[in-house]
Amino acid sequence: MFFIINTKENIPLINIQNVIIGYDIKEPLIEINDFKVFPGEIVVLTGPSGAGKTTLLKTIAGLVKPISGTITVCEKITPFNPKRGELGYIPQSLGLVRHASVMHNVMIGANAGHKPIWTPFPSNTAKKHAMDAIFAMGLDTFKFKIIRKLSGGQQRRVATARTLAQQPRLILADEFLSELDEETKEIVQSKVLEYIHQKTSTLLVVEHDIMRAKEMCDRLFIIKNGKISEINEKDILEEE
Amino acid sequence: MNIFQNYYVRKSKNIIFLSLIIIFAWLTFSDLVDGDWGSLENSFSNISIFFQESLWPPDWSVIEPQIYPICTEYPPFDFKCSTAWIGMTETLKIAFVSTIFGMLISLPISLLAARNLNPFWISYPARILLAFLRSLPSIIWAILFVILIGFGPVSGTLAMTFYTVGYLGKLQYESIEGISRDPLDAADVMGLNKIEKSLTVVIPESANNLISQLIFMFEYNVRHGTVIGIVGAGGIGYYINLYLKFLQYDKVIAYLIIIFIVVIVIDLISIYARSYFNEKGDINPPSWLGVFIPHNILSKIKNK
Repeated sequence: MFFIINTKENIPLINIQNVIIGYDIKEPLIEINDFKVFPGEIVVLTGPSGAGKTTLLKTIAGLVKPISGTITVCEKITPFNPKRGELGYIPQSLGLVRHASVMHNVMIGANAGHKPIWTPFPSNTAKKHAMDAIFAMGLDTFKFKIIRKLSGGQQRRVATARTLAQQPRLILADEFLSELDEETKEIVQSKVLEYIHQKTSTLLVVEHDIMRAKEMCDRLFIIKNGKISEINEKDILEEE
Repeated sequence: MNIFQNYYVRKSKNIIFLSLIIIFAWLTFSDLVDGDWGSLENSFSNISIFFQESLWPPDWSVIEPQIYPICTEYPPFDFKCSTAWIGMTETLKIAFVSTIFGMLISLPISLLAARNLNPFWISYPARILLAFLRSLPSIIWAILFVILIGFGPVSGTLAMTFYTVGYLGKLQYESIEGISRDPLDAADVMGLNKIEKSLTVVIPESANNLISQLIFMFEYNVRHGTVIGIVGAGGIGYYINLYLKFLQYDKVIAYLIIIFIVVIVIDLISIYARSYFNEKGDINPPSWLGVFIPHNILSKIKNK
């Protein structure tokens, strides 16, 4: 006798079946037949510029409507209003409030993750997670500095800290390691991966550097010529 | 060669277009004059006669204390009992209160009017409301409130507040619509609601513009606050209207000079204050002296 065990881990967090992605119906960017990401996984999307990696990430985030088909993200079908605090998003341009402080930006994430909608003030949990994320990203010395006065790398760390303070189920990150020096890259990467492993959270990253992508991911996908395909060790060597 | 030809053709097209607009403006002006060019010929001599016989020299008795009510201030502070001081301070008070009240009302409306935050069925009614408040000039609002409430600064304050809501609201929603889409996208993905998004993303992101506009609006309200007194809504305009009725133009010119000086000072302070709320201001905010003395002269003085 066979039992099908359907635990939460078996249900994909992102499920894309027969979907066409793009901005214009005449110029579809990617056609996806089957793409699934499971809880606790680290999945990297790579590919040449203009292939549609960012558009795919935005579509999963619910910011761009798919041309055809439906996408399921965190058990919800797109187009959807994301559940509060469930999705973390680090866009390529970071999406920080440039005229506010580091603390303010990190607290936005912490409040989304830990402050109930009806309470006006941040909870102690939100404050604690914000401070933890600020320390983890090495931002404690300039936590009250205005974002526009920080360097590109420092701003990238703030965007990562905002997402870590939020503690989401799924992190969608668009080249979150670019503009960082090697040492900081290592620190940021290890802190994010540590969070993913601790909380069995899921990470979907767009990354150009294929070696780094291989180093951090469980599965690696390449978007090329309008198709998405999983690649293995041999393919990586060929790509290089 | 072809590229240069295209460049010059495009440039000459622009010049022809601009020339046509200027010719059209001149023809429209001729239509307004309606052949009575003689009235313009005498205008310079008229103004010079009026200036010499009625306006100049200004009657500075307007900064002397009034005979009644009896002044309780001692010299040299007895100028506080003068009509110029009383009128001007009242105008400044009206401008200040109406700017703050106007901002408090206009900000929520402009958040609703911003098309990047709300669907059209919310943003357009809010825009129409702001357009309605803006379409009536402050002096018309002042007439309405004088009829409703009666003469005095309260009518002036309400009139200026209504106009401020319409005018400042438009400036505010335009700067809100100009903010970057990315922080809003990040907030949407995080699942923040509209109020949280407005308070934590939209207002901080556009704060520099909002503050700069607020200071500009105060300066604007001071200038316009001098006019609404003419219809009895308080401020220095009341005294201007009074002396215009008695044909005491020398006193009127004294008031106008005082208004001019106050407006210039507020304008300069406004430039200085606003310089702190733009990104350029982060790098090089001007010194107080820099407001009054041109930059090149100031740098020479400093170098010496």
